[in-house]
Amino acid sequence: MKMRNLIALLLAAVMLLALAACGGAKTDTPKTDAPKADAPKTDAPAAEPKILKLAESFAYASLDAHKDWNGWYTSIYGLTETLFKVGDDLSVQPLLAEKAETDDTGRTWTITLNPKAAFSDGKPLTAEMVVRNLQRIGEVNERFADVKGYEIKAVDAHTLTITTPEVFPTLLTDKLTNAAFGIMDLDSADLDHAPVCTGPFAVKSFEPEGTVEMARNAAYWNGEVQLDGVIFYYMNDDESKLMAMQSGEIDGYSSVTAAAKQIYSAEPDRYVLTVIPATRLQFYVLNENRLSAAVRKAINLTVDNKAIADFLGGTVSPAVGPFGASAPYGKVTKPAVDIAGAKAAIESDGWKLNAAGYYEKDGKELTVNICYYFARSLDSIALLMQEQLKAVGVKAELTGVEDADSTYRVTGDYDIALYCMIADQAGDPYYCINALFRQSSDWALGGFHSDECEKLIDALASETDTARRAALANQIVQMAIDDNAFGFVGLFNKTTVAVPGVKNIGENSPFDFYAVNAATDK
Amino acid sequence: MGNYIGKRMLHLVGILIALSFLTFLLMYLTPGDAATKKLNAQGIAVSQEVLDATRKAMGLDRPFLVQYGDWALGVLRGDLGDSYKDGQAVAAKLGKALGYTALLALGSLALSLLVSLPLSVLTALKKDTALDHIVRFFSFVANSLPNFLISVLLMYFLCVKARLLPVVADDSLRGLLLPALALSIPMTGRFLRQFRAEVLEQLSQSYVSGAVSRGVKRRYILWRNVLHNACIPILTVVGLQIGTLFGGSVVIETIFRWPGLGKMAMDAITNRDYPVIQGFVLFTSVVYVLVNLLTDIAYHWVDPRVRPE
Repeated sequence: MKMRNLIALLLAAVMLLALAACGGAKTDTPKTDAPKADAPKTDAPAAEPKILKLAESFAYASLDAHKDWNGWYTSIYGLTETLFKVGDDLSVQPLLAEKAETDDTGRTWTITLNPKAAFSDGKPLTAEMVVRNLQRIGEVNERFADVKGYEIKAVDAHTLTITTPEVFPTLLTDKLTNAAFGIMDLDSADLDHAPVCTGPFAVKSFEPEGTVEMARNAAYWNGEVQLDGVIFYYMNDDESKLMAMQSGEIDGYSSVTAAAKQIYSAEPDRYVLTVIPATRLQFYVLNENRLSAAVRKAINLTVDNKAIADFLGGTVSPAVGPFGASAPYGKVTKPAVDIAGAKAAIESDGWKLNAAGYYEKDGKELTVNICYYFARSLDSIALLMQEQLKAVGVKAELTGVEDADSTYRVTGDYDIALYCMIADQAGDPYYCINALFRQSSDWALGGFHSDECEKLIDALASETDTARRAALANQIVQMAIDDNAFGFVGLFNKTTVAVPGVKNIGENSPFDFYAVNAATDK
Repeated sequence: MGNYIGKRMLHLVGILIALSFLTFLLMYLTPGDAATKKLNAQGIAVSQEVLDATRKAMGLDRPFLVQYGDWALGVLRGDLGDSYKDGQAVAAKLGKALGYTALLALGSLALSLLVSLPLSVLTALKKDTALDHIVRFFSFVANSLPNFLISVLLMYFLCVKARLLPVVADDSLRGLLLPALALSIPMTGRFLRQFRAEVLEQLSQSYVSGAVSRGVKRRYILWRNVLHNACIPILTVVGLQIGTLFGGSVVIETIFRWPGLGKMAMDAITNRDYPVIQGFVLFTSVVYVLVNLLTDIAYHWVDPRVRPE
């Protein structure tokens, strides 16, 4: 009897503890409701409010747009806006600012704000507040520490000037359209949890690294907001997102996987899929210090990126260069897959096929080491490349690492190095060209160098004419392609799924940092 | 008993020093650091100058022993440091995640014990009957299924098909049910097999047949002797399981959006967030040692002949 009591007691204790913990966890949840004074005035209809529910793969601990990568998410949430934005066609368009002009030196920019621009509490946006925002970004974000060297001044209520130490033609694309440059009212009571901003939505409640609820900004300065609110659920598991869509708990999300895309495609009356080419590039570097020009040429003639794109189920589009072919700076060409040409190139280098079907010279088989990391389908690409190279007689060995940024990318210890990066940040080619083709870049360890290319990159750095910039970019990229220094495999597609009726959730923007806006509806 | 507890606490200090040093060393030797992870988080490369400046600001350019010593001194002052990723205090992050993990751990443990304790006794008493075979089969299957598969199956049938529970759960009891169930199914399978084996072991002892032959009621033998004697190994199994549960479950927490310790630790490792990793290691070590200590004390409580050594 005593034992029965003991077991019953143990069970009761466990259950009580569970219930107690249950109550405890609720109080531990630091979900922040925006202060009532800062909450937007809503004139929501008495009928059922229009609340859109979206899933996001990332969530941050703060809504301070200037710090870390938070700005991407405050932009996605429709909370912050930048002075300029990048359109779906990659063009720079006015947003909080009406225009930007440079003086004759090319160093001083005059920015004119839209006089209608205002925060969600009705406070007008002033040049002085923008100046404070820009100065703060330089202070709190390591990626933009160079902004500290700018001279930023308010000229009048709606005009400011920015003077950079050097000619900086990409100020708008590199900085002023960047989501980290989202404008906040720096006098907000709580910048981390409920900043007052200018976007079509204001914070209703914020759970750090969790669910974010946004309410309609009824006082939005740039048109009427269609939705009453948006809820962003943090879900980084693909299966959970798929099932939340199937159970009707969310209305949409981006970055749909190939497997989920297939499921949604089978029910077009229930799900609307939008697939557009985006800017995340999968590419490889061919190490010129280890591979001869003939072998590099053979590799590039062998790798069939159309077959790779097919295998990846439509999540990527085959790439020719680092930028989309529709961009003015994406007009480059590369030879088509040519197996016979690849074999001829290898044989011209003195290699002979052995009995095992591999090329051999001086008793050594032609073997290349492909380094990759486990993300963005690079592991699948490495395997497919291995198979394709085997078919022409090149043996490929695979080396997978967890962190490319601290291993092969900075040591140069590879024959072929696979990598994935955002090639086009905001409608300008300079960032990517500078990161990949400069002699001082990390990828220079692959051995690519050309004095002419270096001069062209210098010219691109200071060129202010857009058409001339595109021409320079095309020339530089073509040089790298012709040198077989790189292989551009694919550009990730942005795949968005939504239930019928949902529109304007950033499905047509190639960038990840745009989602809801005033026109978003369901 | 007091001496025994004091000795175990002294061991704990040694364990904490050794584990924290080893973890710090391993993270230091692993390629990549918090600065690279933070700056390249969204796939946009940064210049070497920016990277070097960030490393310097975070103190990552200092020698290993200086970094470790700095962290250890902070711990001695009661400061676990701040997260490299988001600047939040590690203690606060741990506290928040612990609430969720405790809820999930105790919820799933309660479910498992409620099912496995009575069923294991019943199947031991009904050994080799149809019921025994069925329960053994299901315990084998439950024990073999990986957590992610159980989670996805539960979600599909209970949320998508039957619409009984939400996929997008919150931290309410309703939200807890699915992750607790997913975590408890394999645990129940393990408990069933181990508890049943213990009860059977006791039932086969000569003192049971002796008691039966003396005319003692079977029910009395079962409750007074068999279960009493099976209790110590069962406590060991449960104690070890509690220690494991308090380490968090990455898979379950990720699938069900449950912000517990497992997910926090995994994110910290991915981001090379040393202060958070160190805090997690310290915390789980303390929990593991304390749970084992409590289990040992419970042995003595259940059977006073067992003296903690």
